This record gives sequence, C-alpha cells and structure tokens, in this order.
Amino acid sequence: MPLAPLIVLLVLLPAAAATALTLPSWLVSGRARKQPVAAAALKKVQMGEFTGGTGGSSQRAVQAELESAHEFQITSGQAEFVISGASVGGRLTGRVMDSSGKRLLERTYAAPGLDENARAFADDVILAITGKPGLATSRIAFVSDKSGVRQVYLSDPEGREVFQVTHHRHGAVSPTLNSDASAVAYTSYRSGFPVVQWLDLGQGWERTVTDTSGSSFGAAFSPDGQRLAMVMSFLGNPEVFVTDLNTNTAACISDTTGVPGSPSWHPDGRQVIFSDDRGQGPALYVAEVPETNQSQASLVRWRTGYRFSTDPEFSPDGQSVAFTARSGGHLAVVVKGWPNGHARVIQAGGAAHPSWSPNGRYVCYTQHGVLYVHHLTSGHRRAILEKQGRISEPRWMK
Amino acid sequence: MPAVLACCQALPGVPGLTKNDEPTVVYALGGREGFSSPLEAALKPACQALEFPGTVFRLGGGHQKILGGLAAEWQAGRPRYLIAGYTAPGLPEDYARSLSERRAQAVRQFLIEAGVEAASLQTVGFGFDSSPSSPTSGVVVIYRQ
Repeated sequence: MPLAPLIVLLVLLPAAAATALTLPSWLVSGRARKQPVAAAALKKVQMGEFTGGTGGSSQRAVQAELESAHEFQITSGQAEFVISGASVGGRLTGRVMDSSGKRLLERTYAAPGLDENARAFADDVILAITGKPGLATSRIAFVSDKSGVRQVYLSDPEGREVFQVTHHRHGAVSPTLNSDASAVAYTSYRSGFPVVQWLDLGQGWERTVTDTSGSSFGAAFSPDGQRLAMVMSFLGNPEVFVTDLNTNTAACISDTTGVPGSPSWHPDGRQVIFSDDRGQGPALYVAEVPETNQSQASLVRWRTGYRFSTDPEFSPDGQSVAFTARSGGHLAVVVKGWPNGHARVIQAGGAAHPSWSPNGRYVCYTQHGVLYVHHLTSGHRRAILEKQGRISEPRWMK
Repeated sequence: MPAVLACCQALPGVPGLTKNDEPTVVYALGGREGFSSPLEAALKPACQALEFPGTVFRLGGGHQKILGGLAAEWQAGRPRYLIAGYTAPGLPEDYARSLSERRAQAVRQFLIEAGVEAASLQTVGFGFDSSPSSPTSGVVVIYRQ
C-alpha cells in the first residue's frame, strides 16, 4: 500500500482498528500514546456569509485552511465566533466577530491569488482567536538531494508549494529561517569550502556572513533576526559563536575543545542551546549570551538522560526542548521540559532533526529521507514531502 | 576574516577534557587563499587516509605513526596540505560536520607540534555533505596542494 494513503487511513480509523494494522517499525510513534484531540477543548466557529463574485470560493478555501489547522470545531449551530467576508476577483476582506457581536478582526487581503489570501486570513483568524500564530503562511526550510546535489528548499507546512532556494554547484546545507521567513541563512560550498551566506528572499540579494578558514556551519537566527549563532573553526578548533549581523562582530560562547554543533536560540534571545561532544558522545549545553562585549558568558550542561543528544531546539514558548537522541541504536526525536521535565520520545526508528511549528503544537522532522509533521497532542503525523529526494535538516520558521 | 572576535573567554565550571587531553597551545588557522578544495580540483593525497572509528576524534598510535612520517617528509619540500575530514552517512548532519572538522584539526595540531609550519596547513570538515563523490566513511584525507 502506498505510504500516503496508509497514513491518511490511520488518522481516520478509530484507535482500535488502527492498532490492528501491522506497520513498519519506523512508521509507528515511539512511546507517545496517540490521543484524540478533545472536541470540547476546541473553540466553536461558524462560517458566516462571504459575499461577492469569488465569495463562495473564498469561504471554502478559508474553511479548508481552518479545518486543516485543527484549532476549531466548525459548526453551523451556536458558535463562539463567526467568520464572514467579501471577495471579488480573489481579493478578500475577512472579519471575525465574537458571540456578543464584537468585531475582533477585519482586514483586506490583496495578494494576486485567492488561495494566498485565504491562507493569510485563516492565519489571522487563528491568531485573533487563540493568540497563537497560524501555520498556513509559515514556511519550512530543508535540504534535499533531488537535483543530484544537496540544495536548500522552502515548503509550506502542507508540502504543496516547494521552492528551490539555492543553486550552488557544490551544494548548500544547514538552512535557518528568520522569524517572518523573509531571509534564510545556510552553509554553501560555492568555493569548495563551507561559508555561511544570508539570502533576502524578498529582494533576492545574497550576502556572505562569514568566509573564515576552516569550516562554518549550523547557523541559527536569533528571535529578533539581528544575530546568528553558528559554528566556526578558525581559532584552531570548532566553537559556537554569536555573530551580530549589523556590526559583523562575533563572540565565542562555547569554550570547548570538543565537537560543538547545532546551536539554537531560546525565544528570549538570551540563551543558546547547542550540542557538544567532549569525548563521551554529544551532550547538550546552554550558554547565556553576553549582552556586552565585556561581560562573560555562563555555560551549563543540560542533562537529557541520553548519552547521545544533538540538534536541540527550544519550543516557541521556551518551556520545552526538542532534540535528536540515540535510543536503542537508532536516532529518535525526543521532547523534554525545560529546564526540568519528563523526556518523551516523539518518534523513534531513525527520526531526526526536530523543529517546532510557530504555534508550538507540532514538530517537523525527517525519517528515512521523508519530511513529517507531527501533532504533539494527538500523536498523529503526516508525511508532507516524500519522493522529493532525500530530505534532511528541516527548520520551521518561528 | 570579516568578523571581529569580540570576546572568547574561559567559561568556569564546565566539565571538559582531562588536562592530559588538552593541547597546551591551539594554533589558529591562517588565511586559506591559494588552497584548493577537493570539490574543485582533483587533489592527490599526501599519505594514506586516516580512519576513525565511531565518533572518536582523538588520534591513536597508528595515526601518529603515519603523521610522524608525513611531518618528516614535509621538511624536504615544505609543501602545503589541506586536511579534509569526512564521516559516514547516518550521523546527524551538523554533528557530522563538526566531528569531521574536529578530526582534521586534531591532525593539524599534531603536524604543527611535529614541526610542520602552521601556515602550510588548512582544514575543512565536510561531514558527509560531499558524498558519494568523496569518501563515505569516517576518515581524514590530507591533500597535497
């Protein structure tokens, strides 16, 4: 049976029927128990009237986006919120009212395509009602070798729109997106050596952030987009640095003679978590980023319970860390509360490189070259990109 | 280098390597102008590839024997070497890059301590980014420039 239909079937089947199927080990979630999302916890939303020539199409597109977000129960009966709008020629004016008639949102969307406007409105609806960002307009950067050389790509979270970002002769890897997905930084091998580059996706211009001796990789945008944490080795051993993109200054925060990698920022912009192998397998460390050049960083080891932990990433609320661990001889994606909390295997059997969705409800990761999006509450997951070459290093914009 | 090193200070209280494992002096890299990448040109290895098992990045006796011979050879023509690290696929990508670079740096450090001029040595860690056209196992290859 093809993989995609099988996964869809699993989501639709009752739990008892789903467990009766025999699945490959890597397709089954780890220790996490799948739980249905409680309908009672979802806010009730009614789709009201959408007037205008493309009103019907707009209403259907917005409803489809809201349904796929799994944030609301869409009902024709009594609802807490009513969504309505008007659309002519694909241009969309949408509004959200609460049950008392108070207007929570009214905005006009005038992008060239109706679907694009519907997605933007759906994201605003989710933000207005839940306070957490919607995902329809978010982007995931990843690496694929489908062209024969590893290059950086962007995709929406449904895997419908895939865009090749880099076209370097020797490839590009290790991408990171800034908070609004207007820029991507990555490591390119354009000169045959690894250099970190920064690409403005709106304007299309590219800038070399660092072209130092040795290797440079693992760039991660700070929450404000003004700094990059990355690994550079020009000092004679690899270290994690924080580079200020405005002043071109860099501060070393790792102080290691080991194997540091995969830096990632806390949403407060003051801490960076990274992996470092000091001879006993990679472990996770957290550095307090100095606010001035004169102040000293502090560094602590964060014990995960695993002897092999890499690719850490803080959740958008800063309360958890997702990382790759080696469990039972295979890589697995694990989520653990920060700074203290229970570690939970989200997906075992070769899953790696987790990255949180902007609303913190999902993580994406790769397993056997396929890109998955995994709902953390229900445990349901979906392959959003497969047969697109071998996919690796996904990063969801925050 | 465009970036200016603003602060890189010793951080207290971090469990690190034992004193015996830490080099007394770590030699910063010089500019890599004039060095060719194996991705750009067909480069000839200066000696046999140095194999590293698992995630080991420290040099063993076998490595040191090969490198000792290479350091002696270097005195004759003073060639320049690019030390390139590779790993097998299967490790997390970023860890693989750092591990391969760290191994290359360990080789460079040994060669410098054995008398090779630091300016003659450059490192790069490819992880398994350059496979399958390059080595697909955990090795360090020293390319003559």
